[in-house]
Amino acid sequence: MISILATLILVFLLQLVLYSWWWIIIIPLMLGFFEKDSMFLASVGNGLGVFLLWFGMSLFQWNNEGEIIVGRVAEVMGASSGFVLALATGLIGFIVAALAGYSGFSLRRTLIKEYQIS
Amino acid sequence: MRIVKTVVAFGFLLTLFVLLNNSLGSIPPLGKFLNPFAGFWQNGAGDDSFDEVLDVKGLRQGVQVVWDERQVPHVFAENTYDAYFAQGFLTARHRLWQMEFQTHVAAGRVSEIIGSKALEFDKRQRRRGLLMGAEVAINTMKEDSESQLILQAYANGVNTWIEMLTPAMLPLEYKLLDYEPEVWSTLKTALLLKLMAWDLTGRNTEMDMSIIRSALGEAFVEEFYPDDTPRTDPIIPAAKPWRFDPLIPRDSSYNFEPQFVKELRKGEPDKNNGSNNWAVSGKRTASGFPILANDPHLGLKLPSIWYEIQLNTPDMNVYGVSLPGAPGVIVGFNDSIAWGLTNAGSDVFDWFEIEFRDENHTEYWYQDEWVKADIRVEEILIKGEKAYLDTFPVTRFGTTVHFGEQKGENGNPVGLAMRWSAHDPSNEMGAIRDINLATNVEEFLGALERFDSPGQNFAFIARDGDIGIRHNGKYPLRGQDQGKFVRAGRDTTGEWRKWIPMDQLPVITNPWRGYVSSANQNPVGKNYPYYMGWEYDDYERGSRINDRLKQMQRVDFYDMQQLQMDNFNKQAKRILPFLIKQIEESYLSGEELVVLEDLKEWNYMSDPGEKAAWVYKQWWLHLEEAIWSDELNLYGEIREIPTRSVTEQLLLKNRKLVYYDDIQTGVKEDRKAIIHIAFERTVADLTEAHGPYGEAWELGRARGTNINHLLSVKGLGRTGLFTGGGSGIVNASKKDHGPSWRMIVELGDSIRAQAIYPGGQSGNPGSVFYDNAVNGWARGEYYDVHFLTSPEVSTESKLKLTHLRNYQ
Repeated sequence: MISILATLILVFLLQLVLYSWWWIIIIPLMLGFFEKDSMFLASVGNGLGVFLLWFGMSLFQWNNEGEIIVGRVAEVMGASSGFVLALATGLIGFIVAALAGYSGFSLRRTLIKEYQIS
Repeated sequence: MRIVKTVVAFGFLLTLFVLLNNSLGSIPPLGKFLNPFAGFWQNGAGDDSFDEVLDVKGLRQGVQVVWDERQVPHVFAENTYDAYFAQGFLTARHRLWQMEFQTHVAAGRVSEIIGSKALEFDKRQRRRGLLMGAEVAINTMKEDSESQLILQAYANGVNTWIEMLTPAMLPLEYKLLDYEPEVWSTLKTALLLKLMAWDLTGRNTEMDMSIIRSALGEAFVEEFYPDDTPRTDPIIPAAKPWRFDPLIPRDSSYNFEPQFVKELRKGEPDKNNGSNNWAVSGKRTASGFPILANDPHLGLKLPSIWYEIQLNTPDMNVYGVSLPGAPGVIVGFNDSIAWGLTNAGSDVFDWFEIEFRDENHTEYWYQDEWVKADIRVEEILIKGEKAYLDTFPVTRFGTTVHFGEQKGENGNPVGLAMRWSAHDPSNEMGAIRDINLATNVEEFLGALERFDSPGQNFAFIARDGDIGIRHNGKYPLRGQDQGKFVRAGRDTTGEWRKWIPMDQLPVITNPWRGYVSSANQNPVGKNYPYYMGWEYDDYERGSRINDRLKQMQRVDFYDMQQLQMDNFNKQAKRILPFLIKQIEESYLSGEELVVLEDLKEWNYMSDPGEKAAWVYKQWWLHLEEAIWSDELNLYGEIREIPTRSVTEQLLLKNRKLVYYDDIQTGVKEDRKAIIHIAFERTVADLTEAHGPYGEAWELGRARGTNINHLLSVKGLGRTGLFTGGGSGIVNASKKDHGPSWRMIVELGDSIRAQAIYPGGQSGNPGSVFYDNAVNGWARGEYYDVHFLTSPEVSTESKLKLTHLRNYQ
């Protein structure tokens, strides 16, 4: 739970100030690297953290005077509704962050084996 | 093993990053686009509200902006610089992507944004010299310090807005296409003016006409493509005497057969007319004050073509629509003058076939010797690829746009050069500034003398009661028919050497009949001494407007609204009864008889719910095709068929004509047969398109009007609007073309105006104000315009005030 929150809060703060989407790679990669024990937490935990953030933020923006734009973009992208679009946004966040978290975790494991770091 | 897993994971991660960070075909980069912190989720209606105070870097003093309920900014500035700075700043706030993208279109720089698929388009734009013309114009404008000040102030305003943008605030289209705005320059404004000139004067039929003349002969052209459109009621009443000594042109048309270059037509604006303007003198209005009405018709797009604004400084108070990207007001009114535009349609674009010395195209034959051409090298940047260099010669006859496939008669390579008035030095910006400042007719007409291109009919009223209209522009001095066909650019004979003097252009003020009007028709009658072109619009709209204005007494705003929305089909009234008489009813099926009955009962109003209006329109198109297209298509893809009025005249007067026969059928048709067959084909085609005769055949459903997004992105436009009208009808709304702005102004003790345009002030598809006026526009409604005299806003008013504070 804490690791999910850590991902969510860190990515939220960085994106709020620096905008770029690839913070959802950098942060999970780092957090995954420092996750010592659980591959599940490193991947799914990070993934869930970003999913909650991106899905939640999308719903917030949709609700925050975003009704028109979301309706139009849903039509442009062939999505059946704004909710589907928000879900897709969250899912893409999940996949990217989970893969990044797993990559960080896996990197550390490899380094431990090769260089005996602990 | 573990290392393999790690490498594979990183490989996947990198692939995912690349996929989500880049566009794939028309799919935007999904990582960036869906990012809820900076992607499209941030383009909501949040920007529909304004701060009460905004610190803006670069102002000289403070500016007060009053926003009305439609988000029209009313700018109150202490000095000229600040007024235009604020106009640039506010327009960019609402329309940045649109104005910037269109400069890329004009300059032939679309490949920079969407890659090599736009390369052919960019090459065409460069060779047509829009960029070259803009460079020439900007140099001319720089010579006038006031024009330079205005252009620079506007550019600074735009750039200040661009600097204030965060990634989240970027307009949606930048996110869709994955690029960013660049610094605004004065050249960009000049480019937009050239793009407008191209849209209004870029259509050219000389190639078609040359082929028609060589295939079917001079007599055919004279009979079916006359210089005077039948039945035209000219803009300036034909009886007006012209009291000046005209210049004598050197020569007129002569026979020359150019090589056929089909590509010449690509990307040309469509033949679409529909603009109307008129002015009614106080003698004929209910209030006793003059009234002006204008509805300029253009291809309809979202974001809207126009941006509505009021600009107030100690020496100016002007209201109307501006071109997003250009300072000043193009159509509108001030405290003393109101003016409206229709396209002039006089010929300002000629093709010349140039003979080059060799394939290097660096020298061409002129006055019995080889002359060096200026060589222009255009570097076209392409997204993700190496830049492309396009080299073409610029001759005395303009830029060489195309090269012929075969050698010319002397065995030398040939090319086609375009001579276009928009390539010449001019300062329309200075003209617009002076128009906006004009306090009486004299000053207004003086200002028009600098408005060279595009040629426009300016109708105007003045607060002191004057009314008038002027066919304005810089027009080459031509012999009869000069410019109707492609000429050889080998010597001085066809060259543009002199211009019709500005003080000899067609103009009339305060005519006895108490009104003036224009609808793209021929500006003058036969006694005007100059030939200016031949492709004016048919008689119907102009004649209908004049019929109505003549009948009206005690004219008020309601009358003007009714006339702008007038759906009377004058052509149908003249010819439909005759067409119906030719039908052999015993040959018709039950359904065809029902359709015919409705046509017989039709009152000729092309209202949106009218099925007969749509059937008649299609019947007429089938007839034109059966009479003309079958023969003309034998000689290549000729798209220039005789005008409606010529065909109408023939059908009514000539029982026999060899062209009535549709040569694609085995039998020989006469007039009666071709009319009957065209009717049957119409019903068959419409049944196939819309199903059995019913609601789907109504004009507003079968045709209606679509307002597409500039990029034609589905979901960002408005389609299926229930509209009436059409070609040759005062309300000349069509499928994707129509009144881009409807305005009615009365200059009296107080100034009153109503207006509407098909869109809204915001360019943000996520804003309420993106298309808020579209439905009202389709229904023919109007808004009352707020022409403010001070920025004072009471607390209970719907108006909101923003103070733009000078911030260093």
